[in-house]
Amino acid sequence: MGLLNILKKLRSNPDKELRLLLLGLDNAGKTTLLKQLASEDVNHVTPTAGFNIKSVLSNGFKLNVWDIGGQRKIRPYWRNYFENTDILIYVVDCSDHQRLEETSLELTELLQDEKLRGVPLLVYANKQDLATALPASEIAQHLGLHLIRDRTWQIQACVATDGTGVKEGMEWVCKNIPVKK
Amino acid sequence: MIVFNVWSLLQWYLRPIIKWLLRKTTKLCELQRICYGDKAGAARTCNVEKSLMLSRTRDVQEVVSFLDAVVLEKRFTPNNFYSILDPSVSIIIRVKKINPKLHGSFIVSFRRCLEQIWSYRSLVNEIEELRKTQFDSNNVEHEEKLVRLWSLLVPQEPLESRITKQWQYIGFQGDDPKTDFRGMGLLGLENLLFFASAYPQASSHVLSHSQHPKYGYTFAIVGINLTSMAYYLLKDGSAKTFMFNDKSCLPSATLFHKFYCYLFYEFDKMWIESKPQNIMEFSMIFKKFENAIRIELADPASVFRINIEVDTV
Repeated sequence: MGLLNILKKLRSNPDKELRLLLLGLDNAGKTTLLKQLASEDVNHVTPTAGFNIKSVLSNGFKLNVWDIGGQRKIRPYWRNYFENTDILIYVVDCSDHQRLEETSLELTELLQDEKLRGVPLLVYANKQDLATALPASEIAQHLGLHLIRDRTWQIQACVATDGTGVKEGMEWVCKNIPVKK
Repeated sequence: MIVFNVWSLLQWYLRPIIKWLLRKTTKLCELQRICYGDKAGAARTCNVEKSLMLSRTRDVQEVVSFLDAVVLEKRFTPNNFYSILDPSVSIIIRVKKINPKLHGSFIVSFRRCLEQIWSYRSLVNEIEELRKTQFDSNNVEHEEKLVRLWSLLVPQEPLESRITKQWQYIGFQGDDPKTDFRGMGLLGLENLLFFASAYPQASSHVLSHSQHPKYGYTFAIVGINLTSMAYYLLKDGSAKTFMFNDKSCLPSATLFHKFYCYLFYEFDKMWIESKPQNIMEFSMIFKKFENAIRIELADPASVFRINIEVDTV
């Protein structure tokens, strides 16, 4: 097994392995997005107790995607997963008007954290298929994205259940990989 | 891969030869050998099913597709057994040249196998339908079930309103459980409801564990994840061991709910014994639990006792 492992190590470029952190309120669609990225069935999703992790190959990168449960009780544990994050992906349920403020507050708090300083941010404005969903531009305003100065960011409208817009977001991710120190 | 192909090719040619040899030496057909030789329950029924599915006799294949069609039409119910199973059994007896007078006990046990096999298939469809039914707050029946779940689990404390933080007490994520059922739909709610109503002591025991200051977890959310596990075990056939080894009932929604209760009770035990640091260890322990259950189910001799009634002090 030794030789095979060495060959594998030589072939895979360690710089091309990325750690993606998927956060957002409960019912935002994080797990569905994760399943969509891994081309798995999205119809059997259950609420996440704890976290899920999957490795996905995309545009020549190996993406290790960490999907952490969004329930209020779990949010204090989010911090334990910040270390070495390459890209932060924040998922918003655009049809959940009542909790727009809550999701905005959580994001603001995340962006102030020392461990996530300078980490590029991708916001998925999810559930665009629902009639009550706010457009991505309005979500961006609510979240105050245009005030962000210390990192690159992007907002991407999407429908995680059928994959619309998901690929575009990931392309942005692969183009905005931070240079490793 | 190549080894596997050679083996399956060999089996394809060898199976009839071995069967013929055994038939000549034992004077019994394969179905008879199974029904007489294997222990009643999962061992026997699974082998009968395998034998029927592998059969190359046209009449047997026709019986199989007839029974499958009955299941699709949702007519495979105990009150129809007489009219459905009698002709099927007669065909098999005729094709296999079995003397019904000599082999009365074969007929009884073979018939039982057919009942189990196709009740299971019927159940898979029934459960799939429940799962696909989304929880709908506009549906009075759904709402009534949700409120009943609360009153069964927390009888001492009435709900203040339909949307309230109280729901988090029984482990839903927020103020309104409606978004928590997700891909498990109504099935998740029905499972929880059955656990709370059929095993009131056990469920309150488990609920109190879930509120443990150190090893607590979210009761309802974990429950919905266990629904998902039970559902997959049913779909891939692993749950046959549980269902076919039940002597008193045929596979049915009730038996599925009992299977779920067994899983919930056992998961809770493993969780507490694992002394997890926090809920973030859930996926790891959940996976470990699933593996342990799969190992148990892989042994057709496993008998699953729900000891939950006696457990509470």
